[in-house]
Amino acid sequence: MPETEGSTARTEHDAEFVALLNATWFGANLPPEAQVRLVGLARRYQAPAGTTLLTEGQLANEIGIVLSGRVSLRTLVPEQGWVTILTVEPGDIFGQSALVPPYRSTSTVVALQPVDVLALDGPGLRAALAADHDLAAVLYPRVLQALARRLNATRLQMLDLFAR
Amino acid sequence: MVRATSTPRPRLGVVKLASCDGCQLMLLNLEDALLSVAERIDIVEFPEATSHRSSGPYDVVLVEGAVSTPEQLETIHAVRREAKVLVTIGACATAGGIQAMRNWANHDAFRAAVYAHPEYVESLATAQPVSDYVKVDGELRGCPINGDQLLEFVTALLTGRRANLPDEAVCAACKRAGRVCVMVSQGIPCLGPVTMTGCGALCPGFDRGCYGCFGPREQANAASLGRQFVAMGEAPAEAGRLFAGFTGYAPPFRDVITEFGGAPGVPAGHAPSPASTGTPSGGK
Amino acid sequence: MTSSAVTTVIAEPRSGTGFLPRAEFQHLIDLLAEDGRTVIGPTVSDGAIVYGEVRAVTDLPVGVGAEQSPGRYRLVDHHDARYFAYAVGPTSWKRFVFPPTLELAQSHRDEQGHVSFGPVRHEIPKMAFLGVRACELAALGIEDRVLLGGPYTDEDFRRRRDNALIVAVQCAEPGGTCFCTSMGTGPGVRGGHDVLLVELADGFLVSSGSEEGAAIVARLGLADATADQVVEGSDQLVAARDRIGDPVVTAGLHDRLLAKLDSPRWAEIAERCLACTNCTAACPTCFCTSVSQRSDLDGHTAVTERRWDFCFTKGFSAVALGGNFRPRVQDRYRQWLTHKFATWIDQFGTSGCVGCGRCITWCPVGIDVREELNLIAPPPVLGTEAQAAAARAPRTSVFHVDAVRPETHDTVTLTLSTPDGMDWSRLHGEFVMVSAPAIGSIPISISRRLPTGMELTVRAVGPASTFVTGLERGAEVGLSAPLGHGWPVEAAHDHDVVIVGGGMGFPPLRPVVDEILAHRASFGDVHVYHGARTPGDLLYKEELAAWASRGDLEVGVTVDRADATWLGRVGVVTQLFDHARWDGTKAIAFVCGPERMIQATVSTLAARGITQDRIFISMERHMECGVGLCGHCQMGPFFVCKDGPVFSLAQLGDVFGREGI
Repeated sequence: MPETEGSTARTEHDAEFVALLNATWFGANLPPEAQVRLVGLARRYQAPAGTTLLTEGQLANEIGIVLSGRVSLRTLVPEQGWVTILTVEPGDIFGQSALVPPYRSTSTVVALQPVDVLALDGPGLRAALAADHDLAAVLYPRVLQALARRLNATRLQMLDLFAR
Repeated sequence: MVRATSTPRPRLGVVKLASCDGCQLMLLNLEDALLSVAERIDIVEFPEATSHRSSGPYDVVLVEGAVSTPEQLETIHAVRREAKVLVTIGACATAGGIQAMRNWANHDAFRAAVYAHPEYVESLATAQPVSDYVKVDGELRGCPINGDQLLEFVTALLTGRRANLPDEAVCAACKRAGRVCVMVSQGIPCLGPVTMTGCGALCPGFDRGCYGCFGPREQANAASLGRQFVAMGEAPAEAGRLFAGFTGYAPPFRDVITEFGGAPGVPAGHAPSPASTGTPSGGK
Repeated sequence: MTSSAVTTVIAEPRSGTGFLPRAEFQHLIDLLAEDGRTVIGPTVSDGAIVYGEVRAVTDLPVGVGAEQSPGRYRLVDHHDARYFAYAVGPTSWKRFVFPPTLELAQSHRDEQGHVSFGPVRHEIPKMAFLGVRACELAALGIEDRVLLGGPYTDEDFRRRRDNALIVAVQCAEPGGTCFCTSMGTGPGVRGGHDVLLVELADGFLVSSGSEEGAAIVARLGLADATADQVVEGSDQLVAARDRIGDPVVTAGLHDRLLAKLDSPRWAEIAERCLACTNCTAACPTCFCTSVSQRSDLDGHTAVTERRWDFCFTKGFSAVALGGNFRPRVQDRYRQWLTHKFATWIDQFGTSGCVGCGRCITWCPVGIDVREELNLIAPPPVLGTEAQAAAARAPRTSVFHVDAVRPETHDTVTLTLSTPDGMDWSRLHGEFVMVSAPAIGSIPISISRRLPTGMELTVRAVGPASTFVTGLERGAEVGLSAPLGHGWPVEAAHDHDVVIVGGGMGFPPLRPVVDEILAHRASFGDVHVYHGARTPGDLLYKEELAAWASRGDLEVGVTVDRADATWLGRVGVVTQLFDHARWDGTKAIAFVCGPERMIQATVSTLAARGITQDRIFISMERHMECGVGLCGHCQMGPFFVCKDGPVFSLAQLGDVFGREGI
């Protein structure tokens, strides 16, 4: 595990969370100030396999960063049942609807394996991003990267390349 | 600043060994250009032009003639010590010249046959090109050397550029000049393909084959040309003899003469090696 | 153009062929010489027919021809009145449009050290070239391409070309070294001329090829040629063509020659070659030059002079500090021949040879390029039927189905063997043609190599593949020997390896994994990624699990969509490694799958530092014959079946991903 950023991480709790952030591509190498802001908004939780972490259409109150385990993004399709659109692997995020009006989840998020999640408080993060442009300047590119990657993947999935 | 005014005039010497002085004459034949050259160069030694004798050191020394006597051997070593740049001029200095023909023969028998009192004639067993004894910095080929090449050499020396003296076959100049190949169209043996350019393809311009007075060009494939002469109907020794001219002692030509026969002064059918093919340490 | 004023006074511009009686030929010479043109044509000089100034019929080689053979040229007397009964001699028109020496520029340096530079613009005489042969017109066309076809042009050449009127004369008397027929340049004139003459016994057929030529022909005021005269002319041409034959097989010569850069023949030629430059000097298309300075003694006024130079001269390939890229004569001969007949095509879209034979006649030792080309790069031999079948045909062997293992609902893996005693695992090749009577043949990639045969993983898509997937244990089927270029697994030794197989693109990669696992220590880190449409479409599930449990290779599996029972990854195959921690700069990648999946994959691999020469992909095309003969799988310059199906991205260049290719 990376060393904690001693001078900026004030408590042991903060230091632990910064270390967790640094172990994910989404949170790694952000400026120490940004990491401190984020851990101030974070909680960590574990959930057993099968747990529904977010439900499609409901308010997304948190952005989750998967630390370990796998979660699936599902949607219910008439006559097909639950279809998994994508799985989110350690290091990646889910629940980014918490940043985008109307802040409602676009899929149902279910843990496929026991998961360890670092969750950032949605309303708190929105307020922080609105107030702290330095934070916004470093965090939004990461969110965009995650979205762009997902968009590109979705496009390829739509092509149904292996169908023929 | 123009260099000519800031640099001392180069000191040029002309040194003669065993030779006919024809190459020195080419320098005199520059005529108009010679005066301009003389304004820019101190010609401190020039036996054909003046009896005045100077001595080194020289910036450049032009050496004419082969090393044929013990005295010439001493001279060339002395000149080399005094010269920054030593350039050999002509077939004798660069290849041994006509006198190197004796290298194939019995030197003492030759001397006895020619001179009434051979004991007064002191000469080395072989006549050798200068480069067999001392380091040579440049060559002007030919028998005699070509005036344009000489002027180009001097101009390059004065202006500080590389002299444009291409090492290519006589054929290159012959074809640029639009001449018809005498070998292909008339069956005349021609050494042009293996001989270094510089003469302006003079002989083929007069319906004659080149006789190689500029000596072998780089990587001269003289053996293949010799085989072609034989294929054209020459007897092998006759084909070899065609190479045995002013520059016959230069290695690629010498090798063909050895291979095909036709050594100078030797009846056809006998093909002895020349007296010395290595670098001799001096005469006896 | 002088022609416009003249053509307007002609009531009906003649498009046909006129006849010029021999006795009136001087009239044509005089017409050409009008407008200040110097007429240059054949004339006897120094034992050859050379090009020089022609003022009168008597300057022409009346009744004179020449015998030509390798290294030999002799004038002969025809004892007749013909002017043009000879094959081309030592001069070419190159001399008049591309002079052997040419002042290009002047430069000055004054006493204060100021320098100035200026081009030299030469007075270009108006010329008429009389007696230009078809091969020579082709040579002028090649020179146009070389000297005027690029972004920088030789303006002196352009002006000389523009100032030269071309009077072609049909070839009727080919020489012993001619091979224009092989090079496709003659003997018939096919354009590029202003006026065309065909010499008959009593005179000339005259026609024009340009407006300027038409004006001159019009001024001759000729009667129409008779049908018999026209036939006499065409008979001559046919006879000339027959005499030349087709000495050099040029089909495929480019590739045949470049495949022989290491031929021992080069050294043998160098035993004979004098490197004297006569061939290049005589060649009508050789264009190499060198420039040098000529100056006064003080270097105040200097001239930059260009002269013909020759790749046979050592100095031509010399560089500073005594280096030389082509130090041996054999290097220079190879350079000349391969440039002329192969790389010239790459550079200029045309061969550099017109088959005029000058390089053969005027070689002092008679080296014959026709012979050398056939020796160095022999054309395919038409042997006996039996020889050909044994050597080349993809023989079909009968194989038995030993086992059928279902992989998915529509895909099976067949284990096939043949009792012929051959070790099939040692045969190179990527795929086999699977044949069944009345069904036909389909190409199927080998998915495992076995000593007695192979495994093939087949998905039922069309009738033939449905038939194959329906084969039962004990059934017989025909298989060709392995065909095509497979995965260069040896190239991955000591490298990390990234294997990405999408859908049915995974089976062809399975032998690569087998090979790596058989020599695991020879490779670095190994990553195997497999993507499929749904969990039900995943192939080799037990094997993937077994590989993953070995601990010495990473296995990643993903599907595009899944229901809630699938606990594995969902997403496109690139997401398996776009955030991976491995270092692409040390890796070689093998990728197979649908083309669009390959595109997405290679861009992700490139972003991770794997260069194009280290990414190998398998291309898909309709492969029918499997051996590059039927043309179905043509892709740009490649046959996928023969040259591929595995290519490096670098090899494919911009063919990869190009629309509609």
